[in-house]
Amino acid sequence: MSLETVLHSIFSAFFIASVIRISTPIIFPALGGLVAIQAGVSNMALEGIMNAAAFTGVIISAYTGNVWLAVLCGVLVGILIASLLALFHLRFGTDVILAGLALNLFCSGITVFLLYVLTGDKGNSATLASLTVPNVKIPWIHNIPFIGELLSGHPVFTYLAFFLVLVIYVFLYRTRFGTHLRAVGENPEAAKSLGIDVNFVRLIALIISGSLAALGGMTLSMAYLPLFQKEMASGRGWIGIAAVHLGARKPLGVLLAAILFGLADALANQVGSLKIPSQLVQMIPYVAVVIALVVYAIQQRRAILERVKKYQQTMKEQYSPRTQ
Amino acid sequence: MQPLIEMKNIVKIYPNGVVANNGVDFSVIKGEIHALVGENGAGKTTLMKILYGMEQPTSGEIVVDGRKVKFHSSHDAIAQKIGMVHQNFMLVPSFTVAENIVLGNEPVKRNKLIDREQVLKTAKQLSEQFGLFIYPEAIVDSINVGMRQRVEILKTLYRQAEILILDEPTSVLTPQETKDLFQAIHKLVDQGKTVIFITHKLREVKEISDRVTVMRNGRVMGTVMTKDVTREQMARMMVGRDVFLKVNKPKMKRGKMCMQVKNISYVSDTGRQMLKNVSFNLYGGEILGIAGVEGNGQTELVEVITGLREAASGEVIVDGKNVVNHTPREVRMKGVAHIPEDRLTNGVAVDSTIDENLIVDRYFQRPFKNGLFINYKIVEKKCGELIKEFSILTPSGKLPVKALSGGNMQKVVVARELSSNPYVLIAAQPTRGIDIGATEFVQDKIVENRTNGTAVLLVSADLAEVMSLSDRIITLYEGQVTGVFPDAAKVTEEELGCYMLGVKHQTPEEMEQYL
Amino acid sequence: MKKILSSKGFRELLRIVVVLAAGLILGFIITLIVSKEPIEAYKALLTGPLSRLNRIGDWLEESITLILAGLAISIVFNAKQWYIGVEGQMILGALVSGVVALYIPIPPFWRILLAFTGGMLVGFLWAVVPALLKAYLNASELVTSLMLNTVALKIFEYFLKNFIMPEKARYVSSFTIPPEYRMSSFVPNWPFLQSIRELWMKQTSVTWIVYLVILSVIVVYLLLYKTSFGYELRTMGSNPKFAMYGGINIKRTMILSMTISGIFAGLAGVHLTLGIHNKIIMGMTSGLGFEGIIVSILAYNNPLGVPFTGLLYGYLKAGADVMERTTDVPRELVSVIQAIVMLLITAERLLPAIQKVIAERKEKSNNRTKVGKKGEPNVT
Repeated sequence: MSLETVLHSIFSAFFIASVIRISTPIIFPALGGLVAIQAGVSNMALEGIMNAAAFTGVIISAYTGNVWLAVLCGVLVGILIASLLALFHLRFGTDVILAGLALNLFCSGITVFLLYVLTGDKGNSATLASLTVPNVKIPWIHNIPFIGELLSGHPVFTYLAFFLVLVIYVFLYRTRFGTHLRAVGENPEAAKSLGIDVNFVRLIALIISGSLAALGGMTLSMAYLPLFQKEMASGRGWIGIAAVHLGARKPLGVLLAAILFGLADALANQVGSLKIPSQLVQMIPYVAVVIALVVYAIQQRRAILERVKKYQQTMKEQYSPRTQ
Repeated sequence: MQPLIEMKNIVKIYPNGVVANNGVDFSVIKGEIHALVGENGAGKTTLMKILYGMEQPTSGEIVVDGRKVKFHSSHDAIAQKIGMVHQNFMLVPSFTVAENIVLGNEPVKRNKLIDREQVLKTAKQLSEQFGLFIYPEAIVDSINVGMRQRVEILKTLYRQAEILILDEPTSVLTPQETKDLFQAIHKLVDQGKTVIFITHKLREVKEISDRVTVMRNGRVMGTVMTKDVTREQMARMMVGRDVFLKVNKPKMKRGKMCMQVKNISYVSDTGRQMLKNVSFNLYGGEILGIAGVEGNGQTELVEVITGLREAASGEVIVDGKNVVNHTPREVRMKGVAHIPEDRLTNGVAVDSTIDENLIVDRYFQRPFKNGLFINYKIVEKKCGELIKEFSILTPSGKLPVKALSGGNMQKVVVARELSSNPYVLIAAQPTRGIDIGATEFVQDKIVENRTNGTAVLLVSADLAEVMSLSDRIITLYEGQVTGVFPDAAKVTEEELGCYMLGVKHQTPEEMEQYL
Repeated sequence: MKKILSSKGFRELLRIVVVLAAGLILGFIITLIVSKEPIEAYKALLTGPLSRLNRIGDWLEESITLILAGLAISIVFNAKQWYIGVEGQMILGALVSGVVALYIPIPPFWRILLAFTGGMLVGFLWAVVPALLKAYLNASELVTSLMLNTVALKIFEYFLKNFIMPEKARYVSSFTIPPEYRMSSFVPNWPFLQSIRELWMKQTSVTWIVYLVILSVIVVYLLLYKTSFGYELRTMGSNPKFAMYGGINIKRTMILSMTISGIFAGLAGVHLTLGIHNKIIMGMTSGLGFEGIIVSILAYNNPLGVPFTGLLYGYLKAGADVMERTTDVPRELVSVIQAIVMLLITAERLLPAIQKVIAERKEKSNNRTKVGKKGEPNVT
C-alpha cells in the first residue's frame, strides 16, 4: 500500500471513529489517575481495578441478564478495591505505591481464579452469555455522512467518557469539594489548618478514581465484545497514569494525552504497510511522557530563577536613592 | 477599660518538662496594637498558640469579652473571632489569591458550584475595606512575600476575625514591605480591629505599637505603654541576667587565622537578601560567638560557610583556599567541622546505626576504608572508643540512632565532628533541645577543642551560652554584623541585647580591627 | 537466648512467618469455598514441587529469575529510589544475550561470556536515562522507569518480529539456541557425580547459573553492606540531607544505585534466555518485574533474605502449577495469597493499630470496674 492509501484511510471517518473507540478505555483510568494524583495519593491499582471490573461486569450480566446491574456492580467493585487501597495506605501506613501494586496483583489473580471456577476456562469468558451496553445512535446526526459515522453509534461508555472529562473538570475546579481535594494534594498542612479532613478527602478521591477505572475496564468487556479475557486491561491502567503526567495533570491535557495514546495504537496498525515499524509508533507516546517530564522540570527551574531575578530587580528599585 | 482578651495565670509545661509559660498574665484592649516581645524561647509564641487554640494550657484561664472560654482547637478560637497569621504561610501555591482567601469556606451558588464572581468580589471587597493591596487573580506562586502575608491576613478577616495575632510578621519582609504592612495594620485598627504583634525587633515596637508586653523565660517582665519605654529599657527587660552555667575556661591563647569570611551575601529563593556583606575572621584557640535572635541570617551564614548553600557573593578562605560554593566534602576536607542546628534533619540519619552516623565524614579514609571495602571491625572499635569518650548512653553502636534521646543524639553529632580534629569548628545551636547534663558535656567539649587550638564559630540563640563560652562576640541583626566585642567577659547582656535587636550599631570603622 | 528472641531480626522473621501463615490460611478458606477437593489442592500446592525431580528443577529455575530480579530491586529500594524498570532491563538483557548466542560467530565459550556481559551491560545502560533525569532534574524515576519499561518491550518486540523470528514460524519466537551454545547443567562434570548429573539433566534444565546467583547474592550483600559505595547508598536512603551534609555525593550515588541494579536485572534476563527458554520468545518476562519487587519487599530489601523469599515465592509458583495440573484449583490462587501477604507485610501501622484497639478495649473494661459506689469519681 502506498503512502496515499494510508493517508486516505487515516483521514477516514472510520479511522477517527476507531481512535475514539480505542481511546475510551484509556480516558477512564486516566481521569481516575488524575483525581487521585490531584489529591496527593497515586493510585497504582488502576490496572487491577480495570481487570476486576471488566470481569465483574461480564459475570453479573451473564448471571442476572441485567446489563445495568452489571455496570453498577463493576463500579462497586472498583470502589471496593479503591477503599482497600485507602484503608491500607491511610490507616495502616502502607506505602501507597506498594499497596497499589499489591492490589494489582490481587485483582489479576482473583479475576482469573474466579473465571476458571465459574466457567472452567482460564483464557476468556466466551462460554458465558454476557451482555453489552447499547450503542447510541444519535437520531439526526447519525445520517450525516462522515460526521455521522464519527459521532454516532458509539457505545454508551464512549459518550460517558468524554462527558466525564467535563464533569471531572467542573468537579475539580468549580465545586467546593474538588477545590478542597486539590488543596489537599498540594498543601495538606494548609488544608488541615482550615479544617479540611485530609484523610477523608483522600478516601473519596480514591473512590472516585476506582469508579472511573472500573468504567474503563467495563468498556473493554461490555462494549464491543461481550467478553472477558485474562489480563484484559493490557497495560491501559499504566497508560492512564502516563497520560496524567503527559497531560500535565489537567483534565483537558489528560484527555488529549489519552487520545494521543489511542491514536498511536490505531496508527501503528495502519503504518505497518509503509515499512514504519508499528512498535516505533506505539512507543511514541511513552517517550513523549519522558520528554514532557523533562520539559516540565526545566520549566519549574526556570520559573524559580525568574522569580529570584524579578525580586532582585524590585529590591534594587526599592533601594534606589530616590525612595530613601 | 475592660480588656477584650484576658489570659490569666497561664502555665504551659510540655511533656518533656520544658516550662514555656510560667504564670503569664496577658491582656489586650480593644482597638489597640499590642506588641509581645521576647527572645527565642521566651514563651511568646506558645502563649499565642494557646490563645489561638493550637495548644492547651496546663493551667490558667482565658476570658474573651468578659466570658470565660476554653479552646479545644483553632475552630473555637476562630469562632471567638480570633485569627492568627503564622510565620510559615499556609497557602496553596497554584491557587489564586482570592481562592486562597476563601479556601475552606467558599461561597457557592444555588447549584452547588463555587460562585467565582463572588470569590473575586469578596477578595476585592476585603482588600479595599482593610487597605491590604492584593491582586485577587494572581497565582499565589508568583506573588511576593509581602502580598502573601496580606493574603494570610485577609484569610483571617474573611473569617471575621476581630483580634489578629501576627507572629513575627516582619521576619520575612523587606523594609519597604514592612512599611506597607504597618500602614495596613493602622487601617485595620481604624476599622476597630485589635492586633497582637509578636516580634523581637524593638524598633518596630516603637514604631507601631500602643502597648508592649515583654516576656523572658516564660514570664512576663512587664506591660507598659510604648511611649513610656525606650528600646534600651525593653532590651534590658528581655535579656536580663539569668543563672547560666559556669564553664571552666582556661585563658585564651589566640593562634593564627584559620578562616576568613569575606563579604558574604546571600539571597533566598524568594528574593530576600538574608546576608549583607558579612565579614569576620576565625583564629585558632578562640571561640567567636555570634549573638542574635534566630532568623537574622545565622542559619544561612552557617550553611554558606559549610557548603550547603550557595552564596551570592563573597569568599570563605580556609588554609589559603576559597571554599565558598564548593561541595560539603571539599569544605570538610579542609578541616571544617559542622555541628548543625537541626540535628534531625542534617546531623543524623535516625534509621542508620550509631556507628554509621559516626563515620559519615571519614568512611572513605584510612583506616576505615580498605580498597572498595569498609572495615567494619575497625569501625566498631573506633566508634566504641568514641562512644566511651563522649559518654553516649547506649549498649551498642549497632543500634539505630532513633533509639537515643535528644541529648545522646547530639552527643553523636558532637562526637563525630569533634573527633575529626578540626581546624575550624562551626557549632550552630549545639545545645538546643537537650538536657542539662548533655549541655554541660557538649559545652565542655567545645571549650576543650578550642583550648587545643581549634578555631570555633559558635552560633546560638541562647545568649547566656554565647556569653559564657565565647572569647569574642559579634552580633548579627538582619543579615548584617552590627557589633563586635573583642572581650566577651567585658560586655553585658543588656549591651549585647541592644546590638542583637538592632537598637545599636557599631560603625564599620569601629568594627574593622576586631572582626 | 532471650537476646535472639527479642532481636529485631527475629521479630521481622516472625512477622513474615505470621503474615505468610495468614495468607495461606486465607487462601485455604478460598479454596474450601470453590474447590471440590480442597485438601488435595492444598496438598499439591504445598508439597507438589518436591514430588518429582523435574518439578524441583522448575522451582529452582523460576526462583533464580526471581532472586536476581529481587536483588536488583533490593539495591534501589535500599537507596529509597522508586526505580521499577526491572522488567525493561530484563527483556533487553534477554534480547541481547539471545542475539549474541544465536548469531555472533565466535566460539562457544566466548559467545556465552559475551552474551552474559552484553545482557548485564544493557541492563546497566537502560537505567542511565531515568537516573540522570532524577539526579539532575528531580524527574520522577517511578514514571520514567515505568515508561521505559514499555519502550523496552516494544524494542524487544520490534527486533524479534522483524529480524529474529524465522519467516514461517508458528509462534513468535526465535530459533532455539543450538546445544553447543547453551549452558550446561549445574552439576559439574566430575566422575563421581556422573549418575546424579545424568538424572538432573534428564529431568531438569537447571544450569550453572545457580552458582552465578549465589555469587550475585554475595556480591550484592558485600556491595550494600561492606563497601563504601554501599554505605553511601544506604545512608542516602536513610536521610539524603544528612548524606549531603556529611559530604556524600548524592547525584553520583543515585545514578550508580539505579544503573548497578540494572546489571542484576539484565542478568535475570540472560537467565531467561540462556537458562530457561533457550530462545527468544514473546512474553518472556511477563509480570516478573513486579514479582521481583514482591520478593525484595518480603525480604525487607535485605539481599541475604532475597534468596529465601525468592525460593519461597518460586516454590509457591511451582506448587500452584502442580495444583492446577492435578486438581481443579487454578494457579492464580497464589497471586491472591501473595498480594495479601504483601499488603500485610507493608502495613507498618497494622500491628500498632491492632494493639491500640486491644488496649482501648482493655481500658474500657478496666474503667467499668473502677467506678466505685454510686458512681463516685475515682481520683488517680
